Amino acid sequence: MFKKILQSLTKSHSSRTAAAPAPAARASAPKTSPLAGIKNAPAKSSAPQTPDELCGITPKMPKSEIMDQLKRLYRRHNRGASSLDPKVRARAEEMLHAIVVVREKHFGQI
Amino acid sequence: MAEHVGIDLGTTLSGLAWLKPDGNPEIVPNADGERLTPSVVFFEAHEDVKLVGSAARDGGDPGRTVFQIKRHMDDPEYLVKIDGKDWTPSEISALILAKLKRECSRIIGDINEVVITVPANFNELARKSTIAAAQMAGMKVRRLVNEPTAAAVYYAHTQGVQGRILVYDLGGGTLDVTILQVDGDNIRILTSEGARHLGGSNFDELLLEAYAQQYNKQTGAGLYSDERHRRRVLQAVEDAKKMLSKLRRVNDTVANDQNSGLARIDLAREDFEAMIRHMLTRTVMLVEQALDSAQLKASDIDHVVLVGGSTRIPKVKTMLEKLFGKSAVSCGNVDECVALGAALFAKKSAKIQEVCNASYGTVAMVYNARTGEEKLMNSIVIPKNTPIPCSRTQVYQTSEDNERIIEVDITQGEDEDAEYVDIIGRLTLEVPPNRPKGCEVAVTFSYDENQRVRALVLDKQSGRSREVAVSYKGAGVLSDEELKRRSAHLRQMRIE
Repeated sequence: MFKKILQSLTKSHSSRTAAAPAPAARASAPKTSPLAGIKNAPAKSSAPQTPDELCGITPKMPKSEIMDQLKRLYRRHNRGASSLDPKVRARAEEMLHAIVVVREKHFGQI
Repeated sequence: MAEHVGIDLGTTLSGLAWLKPDGNPEIVPNADGERLTPSVVFFEAHEDVKLVGSAARDGGDPGRTVFQIKRHMDDPEYLVKIDGKDWTPSEISALILAKLKRECSRIIGDINEVVITVPANFNELARKSTIAAAQMAGMKVRRLVNEPTAAAVYYAHTQGVQGRILVYDLGGGTLDVTILQVDGDNIRILTSEGARHLGGSNFDELLLEAYAQQYNKQTGAGLYSDERHRRRVLQAVEDAKKMLSKLRRVNDTVANDQNSGLARIDLAREDFEAMIRHMLTRTVMLVEQALDSAQLKASDIDHVVLVGGSTRIPKVKTMLEKLFGKSAVSCGNVDECVALGAALFAKKSAKIQEVCNASYGTVAMVYNARTGEEKLMNSIVIPKNTPIPCSRTQVYQTSEDNERIIEVDITQGEDEDAEYVDIIGRLTLEVPPNRPKGCEVAVTFSYDENQRVRALVLDKQSGRSREVAVSYKGAGVLSDEELKRRSAHLRQMRIE
């Protein structure tokens, strides 16, 4: 059912605009791994984002969905926190902080 | 000659253990009489000597002292410059290992082969650097073993337990969570999850900040103005942290190095726990991640085992007991059990089934024939938690007509978005001209017992193939020739 075409990241970067689906399309793509379906953070604006916004948590989101979203984000950014790229690491630390704040807000402190 | 030797090359402390003739492991003290050696190296300016351990930690010039080098073992560009010479992380680690080898061999005989422990989430480069460090110190690495696995081996050996064990290993610099199944003498790792840069030294830094704030509030001055004094205060802070694991309140008196006066620091355990609460929540999330990876619930775990000095913090124990609804027990001496387990592992490794600690794959455009959707993604070939050693193959297609060079990225990580995984290597294969797109290419990844990965690319039509072990380039990565040269040099050094 799946056809897989090799792409190197250098190649894909050069044709990324044409090849890669838009973030919205990515979010709705079929779930093929436990990490599929991570909701992308809202488009960047100049206004500072709340931890909920950073984590893509919406006001009416059920608790189970919030927990799933936080788990997915934690897995992603925990990995980023050990990146050798300082930018990735800083972003990951910012996200991990937001994830913990959101978790405490919705599920209480440990 | 000591046959079964294990070394815990820790972020803050290192230890060596051997398996006694009666089959029980024992820590071997260094020549300073210490069971564990601080992982600190001091480069003396006036004498040609490298100090390792307590002497290096307590007295040296910070500009000539190297702390926590383990945190940089995965950085190909990291170098420490001392007296115009660049030292790689593996060379610094080799000095620590050389002290252990030289001094412990006086007690247990020659040490030629060792098992060395590493954090479960140490990446390819960090593992390779660890093996190189041992080589430079004059030892062959029989196996690398993950720290929580070693601790669990020791726990199972001493307690005779069966069933599913979750090991929560919170050390000086890293957190590892491992779930394993023990059946008699056989141990099967189910999953290992790790968080780098999350450990006791992060707690020390938070406490240091609290000290500095209290000092500034009382005196109006800064607590330290240089690295030497900051290190001294940090040592006092670490002592206070340890006291807070035993007492509910601790008082301390500190001064800066500018004669700004004394300040009385008053610390309550609750305040400290509040300071580190967010970090502890992160550790709980890692435990939950491990349970999810093993497709288990908290109630499926039979034993929760604590490893690493930071698990002495009472909040850690109560937090885990609340999560699991059962006692969390210490693995004997939490600082020593990893080295002790490594010595046991040296003998029992055949009965221990480990797993891949990360997913390995490549970057591919994946078309779903059913939905018509296409997506650039990290296509996993070896999924995390596959029992090792292992080898897996996936077949891909070429993307362009007349494609002459096939490029295969080697990815490490579980995220399906290629932006969130590490590209740890790239393999290129030249293929014949004038072929249409869609030619089949088999990509095989192999993963060995030391958790090192190899990649093989086979163009099915032409039969051409290329295989590589993942290798790294960078100022801090030594070539084989340079490794030999520096090994010879290190053997001539005076290390105390």
